[in-house]
Amino acid sequence: MRTHTGMTMSSGVLGQYDTLPGTLDAIARLRDAGHRDIEVFSPIPSPEIEEAMDIHSSPVRVWALTGAITGCTLGVLLTAGTSLAYPLVTQGKPLVSLPPFVVFMFELTVLLTGIFGLVALLVHTKRPVINLDPAYRTSFSVDRWGIFVPANGEGTAAAEALVRETSAVDVEVQG
Amino acid sequence: MATAEAKVPAHPTLADANRDITRPIAMPEKRFYLVLGVAAAGLALMFGAWFYQIGAGIGVAGITHPVFWGVYITTFVFWVGIAHSGTLISAILYLFRSGWRTTINRTAEAMTIFAVMTAGLFPLIHLGRVWYFYYLMPYPSQRQIWPDFRSPLVMDVFAVSTYLTISALFWYTGLIPDFAILRDRAKGWMYKIYGAFSLGWQGTVSEWRHYRRIYLYMAGIATPLVLSVHSVVSWDFALSIVPGWHSTIFAPYFVAGAIFSGVALVITIMIPLRWAFGLEAYITENHFENMAKLVLLTSLIVGFSYGTEFFLAYYSADPIEIESFRWRALGAYALPFWVMVFCNVVVPQALWFKKVRTSLPALFALTIFVNIGMWYERFVIIVTSLAHEYEPGGWGLYTPSWVEMSILVGSFCWFFFWFLLFSRSLPVISIAEVKEHLAHEHAHAHGDDDE
Repeated sequence: MRTHTGMTMSSGVLGQYDTLPGTLDAIARLRDAGHRDIEVFSPIPSPEIEEAMDIHSSPVRVWALTGAITGCTLGVLLTAGTSLAYPLVTQGKPLVSLPPFVVFMFELTVLLTGIFGLVALLVHTKRPVINLDPAYRTSFSVDRWGIFVPANGEGTAAAEALVRETSAVDVEVQG
Repeated sequence: MATAEAKVPAHPTLADANRDITRPIAMPEKRFYLVLGVAAAGLALMFGAWFYQIGAGIGVAGITHPVFWGVYITTFVFWVGIAHSGTLISAILYLFRSGWRTTINRTAEAMTIFAVMTAGLFPLIHLGRVWYFYYLMPYPSQRQIWPDFRSPLVMDVFAVSTYLTISALFWYTGLIPDFAILRDRAKGWMYKIYGAFSLGWQGTVSEWRHYRRIYLYMAGIATPLVLSVHSVVSWDFALSIVPGWHSTIFAPYFVAGAIFSGVALVITIMIPLRWAFGLEAYITENHFENMAKLVLLTSLIVGFSYGTEFFLAYYSADPIEIESFRWRALGAYALPFWVMVFCNVVVPQALWFKKVRTSLPALFALTIFVNIGMWYERFVIIVTSLAHEYEPGGWGLYTPSWVEMSILVGSFCWFFFWFLLFSRSLPVISIAEVKEHLAHEHAHAHGDDDE
């Protein structure tokens, strides 16, 4: 398992926090001390944590747009293409009748945007995985926030001291 | 199941939310199986009647000349309408940042999926020879014959199937963090099942970051979708030249009716669910009052649409259109018409009073009236128009047969069967969203204390 910056999470220091403000404060302190590759676990979605870690955009929007364009194109090809492939005039309308075809283009646009979006979520979060990260604790799905600071050797003691200075309610050294 | 006696804290913490919302999943009770058994019996009735119809032929249904669309299509439109509440509450209210949706969106989304599953059965049942359903699908055949993409019936296939798929994806995406909560509380094979559905979710900042974006995009695309689906269903009627159907107001009229009936059924279901699962701290009177206001608003739109239909018929000066609407109100189907008006326009006016909006027994009874009225609305639109078209020689009456009525009753059992299974295996409230709400409430409370 790797942190959001790609560092491995095999060894380091794990601090647990019981409030969001405490977690935000700890993130700021650790980043100020030069630890930019920390991983944060949260029981709730929190834009404040993303902001504190200087994370802004997500590439899933590109996937969603790609899905939308693909769906709309497929809608045009399916409706106009099949009408031209078997040219039979029905209801007195032109072979390529845009107003009714727009409904299919719209439906396929929405359909593929949703499907591409979910695939993007799986790709960018590298899911599904069978084994959970060694730093993960079940309390992170209840009411605790966790910050994992990757460290090894001499750096571990310094990282542990730094985490203990924050409002962590529990500190563990891993690896 | 938990009961109303279960102790629920007045100001729940994040851990309380995990415990209270997942409690019903871990507590089997005899009465649950009893209710499930009743639903299963209704299912047996529905499938028994359907198989009988398949064996004996579509003639055992009451539909015949001139009314070829009867209870089956009425019930199809009814269930598609019910399906609208979920996406409305989940997607549209999410985009408007309406905080009160958090405790009801999961149940409403589940309702959407089960209602679309129910609605989807009816075109198949109505086909008679159900094995030919694939004629509506665009598949490359040897003769290169494709569906007619100018037909609103084919639009319907695409709209309803897209709606089912997107609603299911939206529902599942919202469930991923809750599956992780269930996984962390489970043991043995349940751990493996919930673990598989959670996809290994751990709540890292990276996961939440992508999750929040994709949930927002899904809400964004589901919003126009929900408006399009019932518009497309309304075009099944409005694009024909049948008097009483050929009207430009049908799309907004149907969408408002769908939201009206959908929110009403959410209230009907949430009231007993809240009591049975002891969720009073999470689903408050305020939630019900907000939903009741939505019911009142859409009731006014629906009532206005009824009036507009009559005015348009009068203003068109078309004798056929005028006769169609005169007959709708005063003809052979006057009783269903006035039941519709009473249930959908008169009864909801009680919601102007706060006492009614905050009384759960009153809301429960009122929303049942609304759903009866909305089924009748579809019946009145479909049957009265077909029974009394242009030529007096082509007029005729329709009476549903026992096969149609059995399938109608069974469809409710089919819906509740899936809903009951859902309520016992998944959290009926989105735990992650409720916790997000609680965390912010606590942060504000502490902020106020500090000041």
